[in-house]
Amino acid sequence: MKKAAIMGMSIVLLGFLGVPFSFGAATIKVGFVDTYSGPPSVYTFDVLDGFKMAIQTINEKGGVLGKKIEFTTRDEKFKPDVGLAMAKELVMKEEVDILAGTINSSATLAVSDFAKREKIPFICTFAKSEKITGEMGHRYVFSVAENTRMIGKATAQMIAKKPYTKFWVAGEDYEYGHAVGEASWRYTKAVKPEAQLLGQTWWKVGEADLAPYISPILQAKPDMLFMGTGGVGNLNFLKLAKAMDLMKQVGIILHTSIELSNLQALGQDGPEGVMGTVNYLFYYPGTPENKAFVDEFRKLYNRPPKVGALYGYAAAQLIARAYQKAGAVDREKFITAMEGLTVDSPVGKLEMRACDHQLMLPMFFGVTKKSPQYEYLIAGDTVTIPGKDYLPTCDEILKVRK
Amino acid sequence: MSFMEAFCSPGVLCQILLGLSRTVILFIVASGLSLILGVLRIPNIAHGSLYMIGAFMAYTVSRVFGGGTLGYWMAVLLAPLGVALVSFIIERGIFSRLYEREHIMLFLLTFSFVLVFGDLVKLVWGAEYRSVSMPGFFQGSIRILGLPFPIYNFILLLVGPIVAVVLWLLVNKTKIGKISRAAAVDREMVGAVGINVSLVFCIVFVIGCFLAGLGGALVSPIVNVVLGMDHTLIMEAFLIVIIGGLGNIWGALLGALIFGLTQSLGILVWPQFGIVFPYAAVIVVLSIRPTGLLRSTW
Repeated sequence: MKKAAIMGMSIVLLGFLGVPFSFGAATIKVGFVDTYSGPPSVYTFDVLDGFKMAIQTINEKGGVLGKKIEFTTRDEKFKPDVGLAMAKELVMKEEVDILAGTINSSATLAVSDFAKREKIPFICTFAKSEKITGEMGHRYVFSVAENTRMIGKATAQMIAKKPYTKFWVAGEDYEYGHAVGEASWRYTKAVKPEAQLLGQTWWKVGEADLAPYISPILQAKPDMLFMGTGGVGNLNFLKLAKAMDLMKQVGIILHTSIELSNLQALGQDGPEGVMGTVNYLFYYPGTPENKAFVDEFRKLYNRPPKVGALYGYAAAQLIARAYQKAGAVDREKFITAMEGLTVDSPVGKLEMRACDHQLMLPMFFGVTKKSPQYEYLIAGDTVTIPGKDYLPTCDEILKVRK
Repeated sequence: MSFMEAFCSPGVLCQILLGLSRTVILFIVASGLSLILGVLRIPNIAHGSLYMIGAFMAYTVSRVFGGGTLGYWMAVLLAPLGVALVSFIIERGIFSRLYEREHIMLFLLTFSFVLVFGDLVKLVWGAEYRSVSMPGFFQGSIRILGLPFPIYNFILLLVGPIVAVVLWLLVNKTKIGKISRAAAVDREMVGAVGINVSLVFCIVFVIGCFLAGLGGALVSPIVNVVLGMDHTLIMEAFLIVIIGGLGNIWGALLGALIFGLTQSLGILVWPQFGIVFPYAAVIVVLSIRPTGLLRSTW
């Protein structure tokens, strides 16, 4: 009895002692809040794995300012309120230096607002809402992923110069779907005044049977379809596109249609001839940097990296470089160091734009096609759109922030 | 253009046919739910999970048989049987011991199975999206009055009546069907005349779940097999069963027709709000006939 009490006491005491030892000033701690369960985890684990891979190398080389970079994760289960609570817990209890995540736009905006009040740096690693670095942007939030405004502008870049004139916008009835569709159309109309919007169709998120929605669109005979679907919605649409052979009847562009997570899931059932944009392809560009990145990733995780891996990798590089540049683990100095910082990545040099804290990633445009090399479709006719060509201008951002 | 002309246009016809193909899946799943509800009096919330398991099993079976045509047929054949086996185990293992309990208990139990099955599927198949290959000759579209119509949806239109006829034969012409109809009306009496009610319940439960699995397997080539595909379906299936009349299989058919057709035609009328129409139809039906369109067995 007495023994047990002593044991218990000592465990409790050790617990107290353990705190400063495990994560005192000796490490830089990054707290990830993200969805690690359910369908979105298809994307989020790549972010984490890309991040892990990068910090492993950094730590092996002695870390940053003599400190190792550590991270801890929290599963917000795709719920904004849970995400916010976990971000608070990470800051208050785990005393993380930086917050990162999430794939849920509402959760990201909630955490971003918290980061602003707490004055703690927060790096958005996946969410696509344009508000994150646009309307609701502030000093403490950064994004290493593209957003709906960027998707729209990249789409317009590629589509406006093609001979399409009659457009239709369709997608899932939620913020991302509407934002992508609306931005694609708005930017296209701006460059191509003769373009006509014939109509729009929206279905509920996750709707599986899309044939009744697509059939009336075809009757209106648009020549270009702007799609605004995400996650499993992409797959549902791509499957139908193949089943109905839609590509013969209308041009289709769907952001991330050429992304590995979609095409791999569809295997040989993927439709050929769908246009798409994405920030990362493991087989393009075939630069030594990208090849080295893919090889390292494959060796560690036994699979090719998806787009999330680039976001995670870039976030880690930025964190390490920024602290080095700042010369101290200090939140304000870190922010200042991040602004305008350039890091190396598998897709070339990436600059963290100072005016809106948006990473200037290149966007790759391509058309799905079969490949003798892979069990799934890949992107063909690939075109690189440099960040400066499709990011909204700083003026545009300043205008929406007012 | 007069109303009749508009109504007979190829576009509307196409929408009606697409709505009917959706009806087929909804009917197959909802009839199983209704059967169990009518005979066993269990509002089986886990029915949607069994539909999801059917789709995942279809994926595995089709992969085992190398995808393609053979894989597809084996999937449609074996996946529902696999689901039937799962349902047999849970019926004998758990439900059969609890029929004496209150409805609310059974209801909560089926809800717990939603969570258990959800996690089981994640453990076995993971969170990734899965896709079942469609056999080559079902791919592409045929032209109906000049408009493209997906072949697979056309096949579903043929499957629907077959399932309905088989169900009708089962319920009306077989002994088990007659007993189960009797049990639906008065189960004490059925037991009193010396029939093993527990066995009847087991058979009906397995058949009902088999239908859920069949729905999942049939739908698998046109959708993506993914965690969470059970949630929307179970809601729709319940609404269908409610507007049709609890426990009435033909009510499920009627409900599925209303649901499928209002959705597909609604999209034509008002594309942005297509999803609203089936739910609006449910409200209308329930405000006119609160117990459902056909006679409820409850």
